[in-house]
Amino acid sequence: MRTFVFFGGKGGVGKTTVSSAYAHRCAEAGLETLVVSTDPAHSTADVFDQAFGDDPRPVEGYDSLSAMEIDPDEEVTRHLMDIKRAMGDQVSPGIVNEIDRQIELAHQTPGAHEAALFDRFIDVMRDADEYDRVVFDTSPTGGTLRLLSLPEYLGGWIDRLLEKRAQSVDLFEKAAIGNREPRRSMVGDPIVARLQERKANFEFAGETLREDAAFFLVVNPDELSIRETRRAVGSLEEYGLTVSGLVANRLTPEPEPHEEGRGARFLRNRCATERERLETVRETFDQPLAGVIETRVAEVKGDFLADVAADLDIDVTAPDPRTGGPRS
Amino acid sequence: MDLSDRIAAFRATLEEWLRGLYHGLVTHPAYEKIENEAEDAEDAFLLACFPDAFGIPSPVSYYTAELLPYLSTEFEQWERRMWDRQSLLERKGQQYHF
Repeated sequence: MRTFVFFGGKGGVGKTTVSSAYAHRCAEAGLETLVVSTDPAHSTADVFDQAFGDDPRPVEGYDSLSAMEIDPDEEVTRHLMDIKRAMGDQVSPGIVNEIDRQIELAHQTPGAHEAALFDRFIDVMRDADEYDRVVFDTSPTGGTLRLLSLPEYLGGWIDRLLEKRAQSVDLFEKAAIGNREPRRSMVGDPIVARLQERKANFEFAGETLREDAAFFLVVNPDELSIRETRRAVGSLEEYGLTVSGLVANRLTPEPEPHEEGRGARFLRNRCATERERLETVRETFDQPLAGVIETRVAEVKGDFLADVAADLDIDVTAPDPRTGGPRS
Repeated sequence: MDLSDRIAAFRATLEEWLRGLYHGLVTHPAYEKIENEAEDAEDAFLLACFPDAFGIPSPVSYYTAELLPYLSTEFEQWERRMWDRQSLLERKGQQYHF
């Protein structure tokens, strides 16, 4: 089964670490895996000690692992250039300047970045046939949630635009009853065609996210992170997306029982608090804990990755969103 | 030219005149009204597509910008109309032949 796996969570909880570790596990299990970083502050490069670009590139030292870092800026520029090229073909030079301004404006609006990121998202999901698993390392909760809510939201907008356009074209056709040529015609209207193409894109994204994707939230054993995760689960469910599980990261390692001293006492206390919080997570969330990862001494990269991957209890073969976690 | 031909010619002229009269009195204003309505609908469509031209942020302007190459003439006229329009009444009032 083809699956997209998303890792999300509050900023700094270790989404990149967990998603890289998971990708490592998938790749080791022989799955053709792709890691996609959508966080504008990319850090996959740091984990694998290798630079990645906007196109999938094989990760050194792995047989079946590739990675890419989506750069929305590049996509915005590409989109802008595409439109300008289409303008050159369609529009007489006299009007170009006037319209140029509008196009530039549209590419500077706050939504442009998100839209561009979303377009790349869809591209990646469309061209994912050669991969058995695509792991998304997403940006901190807020951004991702907005991104994932886009299909529904924008779909509604495009619907309204289509309706309006259909209405005006219909009226133009009616005004031309008799043997006059109508000013606009529904058949072959490039506007309607464009909008419908966009709509189909959004529908594809919505469907894929609902049916072919699994979401995991990374949580740290502290109050803030747990609260944010609870909100994130709620919002995701509002959009009709089910969270398959939680991954607890950054747990304090317990000292040996015979150790006494300030450090050991601190660690023991800290562990007790964390255990309590973990218990709360286990009891109050519907989602299962799909992994408990302790803090490592150094940055997680290289050999550490295999180590962390071993702590992850996410099924590598088929993290089916329907069986991966209980639906609420 | 015999009588029947003259009658036929007269009837043809009369028919043309009557059709013209009917068109001028009834159909033309009706078409015009529909066409104006269609223009208004198109204005509304353009405003929904490019509200950011007037400083209203739109979530889809990034996507609707790709329509501009096909809407160039309409867009320019529309923009001028929107800036120039004094009141909605003025434009709506034109639609009726008082």
